[in-house]
Amino acid sequence: MTSVARPAPRRLAAFAVPSEPGNERLALARVTEAVAASGLPPAQLERLKTAVAEATMNAIEHGNRGRPDIPVDVEVVQEGDDIIVAITDLGGEHAPGGPVEEPDLLLKLEGEQRARGWGLFLIRNMVDAMQVRTDGARHTIQLTMRAGAAAAAPVSQTGGSQGGGDEEDL
Amino acid sequence: MKKTCKAAVHAVGDAAVIELAGEVDGGAAGVLNAAYEQAVGSGEPGTVVLDFARVGYINSTGIALIVSVLARARAERRKVVASGLSEHYREIFDITRLSDFIEVFGNLDAAVSQLAGPAS
Repeated sequence: MTSVARPAPRRLAAFAVPSEPGNERLALARVTEAVAASGLPPAQLERLKTAVAEATMNAIEHGNRGRPDIPVDVEVVQEGDDIIVAITDLGGEHAPGGPVEEPDLLLKLEGEQRARGWGLFLIRNMVDAMQVRTDGARHTIQLTMRAGAAAAAPVSQTGGSQGGGDEEDL
Repeated sequence: MKKTCKAAVHAVGDAAVIELAGEVDGGAAGVLNAAYEQAVGSGEPGTVVLDFARVGYINSTGIALIVSVLARARAERRKVVASGLSEHYREIFDITRLSDFIEVFGNLDAAVSQLAGPAS
């Protein structure tokens, strides 16, 4: 059996944004710039941008509780055809013990579910894979987009040591 | 939060058109709600058109605002249609099922042409 060696991961960018409302736009602009030469098709880039913005907003609001002195760390890595974006806050488990409510538009329209609650749903539907891990206070959501892959189908969330199903929604 | 969303409201027959520009996010709540008030405040339109042709960004909070407008319109027995969505946001309307409740047109002209007949 032969095996094909994967190219070594290449870091495209690593930066931090202060936890202030609206800085998700800063993160998505930096990520867009970082992956510009990666060959990611425009439709996939748009999906990645939405996922990055939502994950960063989640980290700012729910992870770091909007404290500007606590940064959200963003790292962008290319590994073969995969673009991997890791977004880390210092909020530890965001919603320990609380299952995420799957958004249901009809229930929302009937007032049986709050109008919000689309953030994690959007992230899951935008990327090819999503992984959540918590290591002490560090809470990381890792988004993977495969260049050239078909339109992203809803992904199953896979967790790390903790927090697999506990990502707080927006 | 900085307001980066703008809205212009005008009537076309039985419909009220809300032309949005900028970013539809949490900061757009006041603008969108005021625009809806203005749209339905005169003439009791049967249909409200949300035009997104000049919108460059919609996030999850913006989706929630659109859901709230749709819920209110349904309660008032008004139809909501959308126009001018980019391919990406059209996909998001499909994923969230908003497009099950909001008919989506390619552009405002197409929406207005379709609305020339009686509202269904």
